[in-house]
Amino acid sequence: MAILLQSLRLVDAEYVHPPKNYIYTGSEVVLVENEFEGKIDQTIDCSKYYASKGWVDLRCFTGEPGEEYKESMDSLGELLKSSGFSKVVLMPNTHPAIQTRNEIQFLKSKSKSWVTDLVINAAATKDCEGENFTDILDLNQEGIMVFGDGINPISNPDRLMKILQYLQKFNGILFDQSFEPLLALYGQMHEGEVSTRIGMKGIPNLAEDVAVHRNIEILRYSGGRLHIQTVSSKAAVERIRQAKKEGLNISADVSLFQLLFSDEDLVTFDTNFKVNPPFRGNEDRKALIKGLKDGTIDAIVSNHQAQDFDAKHMEFDLAHSGMIGLQVFLPGMVKLADELGWPLLISKITDGPEKVLGIHKPGLEQLTIFDPNERWVYDKKSNLSNSANHPWFNGELKGKVKFVINKNNFFKVQ
Amino acid sequence: MSQLSTRHLLGIKDITKEDIQLIFETADNFKEVLNRPIKKVPSLRDITIANIFFENSTRTRLSFELAEKRLSADVINFSSSNSSVKKGETLIDTVNNILSMKVDMVVMRHSSPGAPYFLSRNISANIVNAGDGTHEHPTQALLDAFSIREKLGDVAGKKVAIIGDILHSRVALSNIFCLQKLGAEVMVCGPITLIPKYISSLGVKVEYDVQKALEWCDVANVLRIQLERQQIKYFPSLREYSLYFGVNKKMLDRLDKEIVIMHPGPINRGVELNSDVADSEHSIILQQVENGVAVRMAVLYLLAGAR
Repeated sequence: MAILLQSLRLVDAEYVHPPKNYIYTGSEVVLVENEFEGKIDQTIDCSKYYASKGWVDLRCFTGEPGEEYKESMDSLGELLKSSGFSKVVLMPNTHPAIQTRNEIQFLKSKSKSWVTDLVINAAATKDCEGENFTDILDLNQEGIMVFGDGINPISNPDRLMKILQYLQKFNGILFDQSFEPLLALYGQMHEGEVSTRIGMKGIPNLAEDVAVHRNIEILRYSGGRLHIQTVSSKAAVERIRQAKKEGLNISADVSLFQLLFSDEDLVTFDTNFKVNPPFRGNEDRKALIKGLKDGTIDAIVSNHQAQDFDAKHMEFDLAHSGMIGLQVFLPGMVKLADELGWPLLISKITDGPEKVLGIHKPGLEQLTIFDPNERWVYDKKSNLSNSANHPWFNGELKGKVKFVINKNNFFKVQ
Repeated sequence: MSQLSTRHLLGIKDITKEDIQLIFETADNFKEVLNRPIKKVPSLRDITIANIFFENSTRTRLSFELAEKRLSADVINFSSSNSSVKKGETLIDTVNNILSMKVDMVVMRHSSPGAPYFLSRNISANIVNAGDGTHEHPTQALLDAFSIREKLGDVAGKKVAIIGDILHSRVALSNIFCLQKLGAEVMVCGPITLIPKYISSLGVKVEYDVQKALEWCDVANVLRIQLERQQIKYFPSLREYSLYFGVNKKMLDRLDKEIVIMHPGPINRGVELNSDVADSEHSIILQQVENGVAVRMAVLYLLAGAR
């Protein structure tokens, strides 16, 4: 099957290329330099579309097993495809946690029909509680290379050190959302002028800074590979920048929505804005953007965390943390495109995360084609998640994924 | 202007200086009513008010109830201690019950900051925040400022020091907003661990020495140590707190001026305030209580008019 993609603008880490014709041959996408000599089965007018190699999300949560009503593997599969992702790293915070071969096999079987490739981040400690190790080598036999406790930091320095050491046997990566829980105790939002004004217990930047600093020093001692997830503070960005300069094997990501929202958004006590790490202040945002531009931060993630209505429809300090982030990911990037440029944004969801996972390769085996200008209404009818915990819900958004190519298939997004 | 700019009183930061002045003028009238032999007026007849207290309260609840009864409103009371509240359920259930009971106004105290905002988005009744966690306690700030105005003639230009546990105090935050709107200068004072790190962003002075704060101010509003809201340790002991951050008569005697002492109550006597100050001629603590009824009557009356 040959599909002609007419006048498509390819985006890579360097450029938004001028419109050109490409052919999807059934296994890859190739540039048509002159005339295509074979038979064309279908022609798609892509003059309004951009495309890039397949998108990779390094941090996404499922509700299954345990909380399928929030997000099931079926709903997540559909959601990932329609949101343009060809690869996703799934976090282990389910009930039970993803911590034995059973859960790994379960997730693999549930994702068999997915268009998106599944990479599982298995729990590094039992029940993600930061104490007793999971059977890491046994899990590696199931192909697991990424370990970490997802929403829970590994705050015990001894455990973090030993996990970093243990993973070196198979060059595994430790993913950690580094913050010191004792400095974030009872915190509900970013500590700053806004938290002071609305009388809310804050989570200081210090909680992240202290943990990132400590974890870098542990990495320096133990060796291994450490990936810091959802960095949010200026000081942490600087620590990671310095560690990279010193040649430590460290990488980092930031949530897309950390770049779009700030603590000012919480003044109405809207629980949709309750996330962890919390939305920070403007200085932090500037530092995160600088970190993306100079390569300190390798990837942008959705940090997709579905919460059902009842988990959010309550008092702010009792509401659950998290925001869904997949279907709104492209509209979020559209909002940032003028400021950051498409090449930078695309590189942070393609080359950047691929390098973190150690799977980076050139070529267009996977492709995401999107219209950055198409408007659509994000509501009950269009929502593909089992949950709707996003402040943009019931609003009009700009940016729609049109086609996804992966696993030798060409999918049209409805 | 004879109407408030809002149909709820969720926080002082959401209302205008003109709103505050209107409340004060209305409270002046009600205070006069409260000193008549017949203290009841028919202003809120046929209006049903629910007092919903998810946190313990004695004086605020009584003050509201008295204000409501003086205005001839129909009053229902609901109290629930926090320990019996299973996460979120009670507030949601309460919302639905209120909707069913056709209540016109709700006075709510809750331990969660922002809980009245949540309520206001989900029911049509007027909401009065009677204290939401560490956020605001607007009627307390109004009665405090009203009492300063009554004692000193005006709030504008006065220096008010708020002393004590600022971090856990909804009274402090509402007072800061209210006093600043009325043109007063505000200082906060207490142990550094009980003062929010970014408090100066609200335009207040910060002092850690109580004697210096007393020397600076015209009015000292001494706050209660909120032991029930302190989930972790902030200072070594009540003894040490009382020695270094409590206000006593000797400290006032060292001043070369008279200052006004306030306290929102209930007082931890011998901790933040000694009896020789609380019961002295400097203190307007009981006037605050009296004014509380008049101010709350004014708030309820004006909000009913905004329906």
